[in-house]
Amino acid sequence: MLTHLAATALLVLALAPVLWLLQMSFRPNADIMSGGIGFTPTLANYRALAGGGFPASFANSLMASTSSTVLSLLIGVPAAYALSRWRFRARGQIAMWILVTRMAPPIAFTIPFFLAYSWLGLLDTVGGLVIIYLTFNLAMVIWTMRSFFAAIPRALEEAAWIDGAGVWMAFLRVVLPLTAPGLAATGILCFIMSWNDFFFALILTRTNAMTAPVAIVNFMQYAGWEWGKIAAAGMLVLLPVLIFTFFARAYLVRGMMAGGVKE
Amino acid sequence: MSARTGWANAQRRAFTLGLAPALIVLAVVTLAPAIYLVVTSLTPLTPVNPASLLNFSDPLGNYRQALFGSSFLHSVRLQLELSVITVGLQTAVGVGLALLLNLESRFMEAVRTGFLVPMVLPPIVVAIIWKVLYTPGISPLYGALGALGIPVGSLITNPVAALPAIALADTWEWFPFTMLMVLAALQMMPTEQLEAARIDGAGAMQMFWYVRLPFIRPALTVAVLFRLIDSIKAFPLIYVLTNGGPGQATEVTNYYAFIQTFNFAYWGYGSAIATMMVAGVFVLSFAVNRLGGAQAADE
Repeated sequence: MLTHLAATALLVLALAPVLWLLQMSFRPNADIMSGGIGFTPTLANYRALAGGGFPASFANSLMASTSSTVLSLLIGVPAAYALSRWRFRARGQIAMWILVTRMAPPIAFTIPFFLAYSWLGLLDTVGGLVIIYLTFNLAMVIWTMRSFFAAIPRALEEAAWIDGAGVWMAFLRVVLPLTAPGLAATGILCFIMSWNDFFFALILTRTNAMTAPVAIVNFMQYAGWEWGKIAAAGMLVLLPVLIFTFFARAYLVRGMMAGGVKE
Repeated sequence: MSARTGWANAQRRAFTLGLAPALIVLAVVTLAPAIYLVVTSLTPLTPVNPASLLNFSDPLGNYRQALFGSSFLHSVRLQLELSVITVGLQTAVGVGLALLLNLESRFMEAVRTGFLVPMVLPPIVVAIIWKVLYTPGISPLYGALGALGIPVGSLITNPVAALPAIALADTWEWFPFTMLMVLAALQMMPTEQLEAARIDGAGAMQMFWYVRLPFIRPALTVAVLFRLIDSIKAFPLIYVLTNGGPGQATEVTNYYAFIQTFNFAYWGYGSAIATMMVAGVFVLSFAVNRLGGAQAADE
């Protein structure tokens, strides 16, 4: 019982910073500096966001994250299946490559991508973001899906092969449906990682393709310190992540550790 | 030529077909930029002068400037400081909480999920939260410290306190990772070992040092290495809290490379620093790979 009490107290302490931002987003702007406990909650900060460029940035974030997730799954899932079923010599090297991709500092990608994009006209486009998000999403999809496929007994697809189905037909009809929860979790992780990106969007976008995290920082730099608006925008960016995480929480670590631990 | 080898061939073709697009895309988006990065690191590239892209007259100039100048080495020292503080704190908090929460109950399961929140928040939201907490006037922190009789000025504009302040925010963001890894290891622990130690009269401290710690050590090592590598990449916190300042008090290597490249337009120099960072990360990843493999072999 004492343990439960201590755990609850620590949890409240750990979440207090988030709750502080939450209450700030409902505070009237004039009231934020006063710092008192009591105030009349208002939606004014959220309403102020609807008027400016924030909805467009939010839409850019959604578009870039969704597209990159779909693309990574389309390219990565067949590769993960092939890796899980096929023993060949380069497997260890490919695993190491994927791990280094996961670990590499984003700045190492940003410099060459910036130069290539300015040449290709991809700077400040959602398409450009979708492509650079593949650097982390694709590696993650291949790694996590491979372990999901490895857990499916081969006898199932072999039965389909005997019935005359080709490799990919058996994959679509037999294997993929069995890994549907894993597929959903992997897709969610891709979405969250793209949605959370700040660095790539900061450098590779300006105005047209600006994502929500970058838009928040611009509230700090150009519009003076509108704390209420910043807090409200922060809550809106946080919301999709919290919802998705709740559904994929069991797979969270497996995705984040991609490449690190062999099963 | 039996039907069997025909099938094996068809199978191999199918797998190659499935693997090829991913490998090609990975090569284009990761291998090609890596090679390009190394090439630009050998030039004095700056966007102001397009001809500098092909100037290989002094290929190691950037590296010489970095290793024999003082600013890069200063950034490495700051990076080490930040990494040691934050990884140390995360490990301590993560292990402590994991031991506390390692009980089988519905309630504890919910509490464990709650503790994951800081880790999954968008990093930019974490940065805003701590910007609020560290800004006098709107933060409840300074008022509370003042009421306790410890009045302090703004932590993030103080050259001594700024780096520890960032480390504290980074610890808050990432302790759940270590906690989760350790919890997973603790839950796989065979109960016989714990029972045996208890019967032998081991105290709580002894249980931890001699029974639990050796068991969770492989998982803990991997978690520490992961956090160590990720601590090198911390960006939004520094960007929003201090922008590398005050002065250069929080200009860790990653941030230094960012400023040199995107503020001062020293692309060649920035590439050289990024190349050295990738090399460092590669070595650490190799360690992760070895340890991850060793762990799998143990099980």
